This record gives sequence, structure tokens and C-alpha cells, in this order.
Amino acid sequence: MSWVTVIWSMCAAACLTLAFVHALVWANDRSARSNLLFALVAVGAAGFAFGELWLLQAQTPEEFMVALRWSHVPMWLWTVALAGFVCTYLRAGRAWLLWGVVGLRTVALVLNFVTGENLNYLEATSFKQVTFFGEPVAIVSGEANPAMLLGQLGVLLLLILAADAGITAWRRGERRQALMVSGSVAALLVAGAIEGNLIVWAGLQMPFTISLFQLIMLAAMGFELSRDVLRSSMLVRELQASEARLRDSQQRMNLAADAANLGLWVWEARSDDVWATPRCCAMLGLPARDRFSLADFTERLHIDDREAVTRGIRATLEKGLPYEVQYRVRLPAGGERWIEATGQLDHCGPGGAPRLQGVCADITERRRAEQEAARLRDQNAHVGRVSLMGQLASALAHEINQPLGAILRNAEAAELFLQSATPDLQEIDAIVTDIRHDTQRAGAVIDSMRALLKRRDLQARPLAMTELFGDVWRLLRADAAARHVRLVLAEVPDALPTVLGDRIQLQQVLINLVVNAMDALDDARRTERWVSVEVRRGDAHCVEVSVSDSGAGIPAERLAQIFDPFFSTKASGMGMGLAISRTIVEAHGGQLRADNREEGGASFRFTLPVFAARPAG
Amino acid sequence: MNAELPKVHVVDDDLSFLNAISRLLKASGFEVLAFSSAGDFLRHHGPDVAGCLVADLHMPGLDGLGLQDALAATSNPLPILFLTGHGDIASTVQAMRSGAEDFLEKNAPKEKLLDAVRRALARDARERKARGRHDELQARLDALTPREREVLGHVVQGRLNKQIAADLKIHERTVKLHRTAITTKLGVRSAAELTRLVGLAGVAAAEAATFP
Repeated sequence: MSWVTVIWSMCAAACLTLAFVHALVWANDRSARSNLLFALVAVGAAGFAFGELWLLQAQTPEEFMVALRWSHVPMWLWTVALAGFVCTYLRAGRAWLLWGVVGLRTVALVLNFVTGENLNYLEATSFKQVTFFGEPVAIVSGEANPAMLLGQLGVLLLLILAADAGITAWRRGERRQALMVSGSVAALLVAGAIEGNLIVWAGLQMPFTISLFQLIMLAAMGFELSRDVLRSSMLVRELQASEARLRDSQQRMNLAADAANLGLWVWEARSDDVWATPRCCAMLGLPARDRFSLADFTERLHIDDREAVTRGIRATLEKGLPYEVQYRVRLPAGGERWIEATGQLDHCGPGGAPRLQGVCADITERRRAEQEAARLRDQNAHVGRVSLMGQLASALAHEINQPLGAILRNAEAAELFLQSATPDLQEIDAIVTDIRHDTQRAGAVIDSMRALLKRRDLQARPLAMTELFGDVWRLLRADAAARHVRLVLAEVPDALPTVLGDRIQLQQVLINLVVNAMDALDDARRTERWVSVEVRRGDAHCVEVSVSDSGAGIPAERLAQIFDPFFSTKASGMGMGLAISRTIVEAHGGQLRADNREEGGASFRFTLPVFAARPAG
Repeated sequence: MNAELPKVHVVDDDLSFLNAISRLLKASGFEVLAFSSAGDFLRHHGPDVAGCLVADLHMPGLDGLGLQDALAATSNPLPILFLTGHGDIASTVQAMRSGAEDFLEKNAPKEKLLDAVRRALARDARERKARGRHDELQARLDALTPREREVLGHVVQGRLNKQIAADLKIHERTVKLHRTAITTKLGVRSAAELTRLVGLAGVAAAEAATFP
């Protein structure tokens, strides 16, 4: 049994197997160049193993030399391929080292065929056979070929290259790869170099066994490479597991949304494609199909709401603002529903396309409740106004009877004038003009009273403070005079911005505050009796109106209570005035508060938001 | 004492009504002076001002009732006629109690208004006359000497000359002399007239001796 043949053949076969396997990997995935280069190294190693076998079984020195000469071809292959593999696998190594290796070994190969017997020997001097593994193998000694040094230099460069690449990879943190690859390469090259040089230069009497070293190195590197294969199969398993988790989580989310009666939707802006849960489709009155377009959605909207929704979508797309709209949808079976949709923009669509996703909820009930509340509030305000009018009734009657009385007296005077033979027509003309003015005056007071008494909803319009003050003056002048209170309505500053408000309801608030102030003066039996109403700019967003009096102020412990419904310090009071006033101010988006003035007396202040004209578009 | 021509003084803070009522009164033949505030009127007012006052009840500053009080404190309280846009019972009662001539609504019928004005003017004339007489009487009484006044006090009580003499420790003849001076100065003819006059003038009776 020729152990040498067996061992060397098995070595070659193992190398070829490794080459085959990794060539297959590369064939599957052309980008796996490390695998290709490794295959080439293995092929080279296999070739070299055959060469070494031939050497061992050479019968004549000439055969030996020829075998050695031809062995350098596979040796060139695996040296060059190994250099390439090290650089490719570790993704490191200086380029000049690589090319140095390739260059030197190529030159050495050429020299191998051109000089002497082969690269190692110029000529053979002796030939004998020794026993190795129980059979004769050839040993040769001869004159060393200096050209071998070039080859050795190439090998040295390869060693340096491996070391360099290994260090770079180590520093990068890929310690195991660096160690395995560079370490095994270094070990092989060093061992091979030592053996080779000892045999050729020092005349050591042993055969070449470099193939065996090669096999060990290939095994190490092959193991390293196959870890990648392992890893990718692990990744596949992980991917499957995470996909399963994702499906689970999606299901839970859908369940939760359904339970909360929310509809989920995602709109891919670029492809105009909306995905929505069945609940969402049902809410919007759309047939339960999985996908629809934005146009399908807007078609279901109430005509009046379409613009607002489109505007909201545009704002979100252009400025990334959160999407919040409320709209009505017309149901196919008739009727309508109020929906509130909220959503957010991200850019996670395919290719970074914009994507809007969110929820929608049915707020019909809530909306109805809000409307009912608003209606009750306005009703309440109306009641307050009627009550207020009752308080002012006598003063207002006086206010109307003044012009009526003047009209009557003027008419009687005119009658008398006309009875004379030569009536003074100029005087009569003046009388008629006065009658007309007084009629208008009475009419204005009646109109104000009627407006105040009418039941109506809050109508917010741009409101000029001057007009509001004028109304209040007209309605309160007589009462203030009758009660001996100096009512001062300060001049409205020119630069005051317009506010948005309901003129009648704000009149109600002002009247309520002024009448309260006058009542306070009565209670306190003050000698200094004035009530002052002023308006000024608050901060950038609001206007502040204040009603101050020269009364005794509000006791500190009552300051919070006075706005409570049914709280009154007056025997005949219902206690609703301030509560209603506060509701009105808050419905306007402002706040009403009471303080005591430093100089004595109370001051009630309320703010109204400034009317900012809507930007176009 | 010659007072000025009697005029109707109108006070109202509502200019429109002030003009209208002035017109009406002028057209009805009265002399009218108009004031837009009680203060203005009081500044104009003096002892020689004659006529009546037509005032609004509710005015800023000094109102109708306050004006009434202020006027009553002067030596020449003109009769007041109140006009009002709306009256409450309390003010009406207060005004009438304090001696207002009348209390009317601003749109009361013309005849009622003019009637009231005439009554007020007539009252003013009467009161003025009475005051005139009173003043004159007072002047005459002031002309008496203290002693004469003393005697007058006793005469008014119905004492005989003899008794007066005894009380005052003077001769009866002196008493008679005083009595003559009194009746001359006062321009009366009988004791009864003297008593009445003195009663009118409101002279206080002298301290009477206590009767057992």
C-alpha cells in the first residue's frame, strides 16, 4: 500500500473538493469573489500536490527536475490567487504589495522555465532514495539557482501582505477573520519557506511536504469562509421569525383599532393609493375593498367640507404639519356622519415617496353634543339679556320718552305757529328737522333694546370697539344719570386692531359689568361715584377691555366665587350675570377676571382675540 | 319792590326736549328762559327773579329734587313744576311733599301742561305779593324801638294799660304814649287789627306774667 500516494492523492482531492464547493458558491452569486479566489487557491494547491507526488515518485534526477519545474505552475497560481484572496476577503492590504507579489512570482515562473533546470536548482548533483512512510522516495541535491531568491522575495512580500491585511482587519474589529486568514497564511508560508530553503540551500535530506501545509491552511480558511454560509442561513431563520412577529403585531393593532372604533388608513401620495381597514371603509361609506384613490374619498365628502380637507392635506404634504381635519361624509344610504381624521406625514413610501398615515373616528355624537351645548349656552345668554333688560327698563323708558316728549311738544308748537296769520316758516322748518332727529333717536334706542332681547346664536363678526362702546353708552346713559354715577367710556385708541365678536353678546357683557359696578357703588354708599370703561391692546394676540369702579372692591375670599352661577350679593339678584358673561367671553376665546384696584374699587377685565385676516389659499 | 317780568324757567339736560318745550311755551305766549343744567339755573337765580320753574326730575349732577331743596333754601323759592320721562312713586311723593306745584309726564297733553304753568305763575304772583307784604310789615316792626316792642308784646296779650304799666314799672301815661307811637308806625286803627297784623308778622308774644 503506497501511503505516499494515498496521502498526497487525498490531499489533492480534498483541495479539489474545496475548490469545487466554493466555485459553486461563486457561480450562484457572482459577487462572492473571495470564494472564487479561494477556489483558485485550492486548485493551485491540488495541482501542487500532484506535482509533489510526482517528485516523490521520481525515478531519475531528470524526472525530478522536470517535475519540480512543472510544479511551479500550480505554485504560481496559488500564490497569486492567495494574495488576491487575502486582499478580497479581508478587504485590506496595500495594492503595491499585491502587485509586487504577482509581479515577482510571474518573473520567477518565467525564470523557472528559462534558467537552469528549474527555479530551485541549476543542476542536480546527486540523486538517491530514502524510505518515507515505508516506501522509497526521491531525494536530490544540487546547485541552488540564485533566481530562487526572486521567488522567495515574492513569498516574503506575500507574507508581509498577509500581515498588513491582517493588522488592518484586526484594527477594524474583525479579529477572528484576521487571525484565521493571515495567521494560517503566515504559518504556511513560514513553514514552507523554512522547509524549502533547508532542503535546497542546506541540503537537508527530506522530501517536500509543502502540500500538507497547504491543506491545513486551506482547511482553516475554508472553515472561515463557510461561516458566512452558516450565517446567511441563520439570517434567513431570523428574517422568518421577525416577519411572523410583524404579522402578529399588525393583527393586534388592527384588533385594537377595531375595538376603539377607529379606522386606519395609509395614503401613498405618489401613486395615489389608499390602504384602509374595513372599519375605515365602513366609516367613510365606501365599499369594503382594500384600496382606493384619493378621489374616491373626496367624492364621499360633504361639498362644504371638501375645500377644508384638501387644504389640510396640502398643508401637511407641503409643510409637514400634523394632519387634523373634521368633515362630514354622505352615506350611500342617506344621512351623514361627522368624522375626525388625524395623521402624520413620513417619507417611508417606496423610494422615499411621501406617505400620509393616520386614523379616523366617528364624532357624530360628540358633534351633536357640542352643538346642543352651544345652543343651550346661547339660550342662557338670552335669558341673561332679558333679565338685564328688566333691570334697565325704567332707565330705558326714560331714554325713549325724552325724544317722544320732545316730538310731541315740537308738534304742538308747530300747530300754534301755523295758526297765526304769518307763520314763521323758518321756525317750523327747524321744528320739523328736530322731530326727525328725535324720531331717529327713539328708534335707535328701541332697535338696541330689540337686538338685545332677540334670541339668537353667537355670530362672530369683525367688530369695531368704537361701535360697541357707542351702543353701550346709548343704553346706559340714562340709568347712570338716574343713579348719579359718572359713566366714562374712554376713547378707543386709533391703533387698536379689530376683534372678532358678537356685538350683541359683548354689549351684554359690558352692560352687565357696568350695572354691577353701579350696584356696588350703591351698596358702598360712596361719595365718589364713577365707572370707567377702557380698552387697550393686551399682548400681540388680544385686546383687553376693563371696567373699573370707585367702589369698595371685592372681598378677597369672594374673588373666585363671584363667577359661580347663582352666587349673588344682591337680595334681588339671580346671580347669573357674571356666570353668563364669563361663558360669553370664553366662547369668544377670551378670559374674564376680576381684581381689586390698588387705589380701591374693583376692576373687571376681559380679553378678546385679535382678528387676524386669514392668509390667502 | 319791582320784580322782573315773570318768566318760565326751563331746566333739562336733554337739549332736544329743552328746545321743544321752550318753543311750545313761547308760542303759547309765555316768556321763557332755558337752562341745560340745574347749576346754570341756580347761578342765574336771584331775589328779583320772578316766574316759575319747569324742571326735569332726572338730570346728571344736581337732579330735580336736589334743585328743589336748593331753591327752598333761598329767599326766592319759585314754584316748581316737574316733568319726567318716567316717574316712580317715591320721587313723586317726595316732590309733592316738598311743595312742588305739580308733577307731570313729559308727554302729558298740552292743555294740562299749560294749565299747570299758569297755576304756577299765579302762585308765584300770590306768594310774591304775600312776601312783599310780609317784608313791608317786617320793616315797619323793625322801626319800633325795643321799648315799644316790649309794650306791643303785652298789648297783644290783651293786657290793660294799667296792668302793662305795673308790669313794666312805668307810668300808665307812658304806656299810652307808646301805644300811640306803635299804632302810628304800624299804620293800624284798632287793637284787633294790631293783633292780627302782629299775628301775621309772627311776632312772638312777650313773656307773660303767670296767672294764678
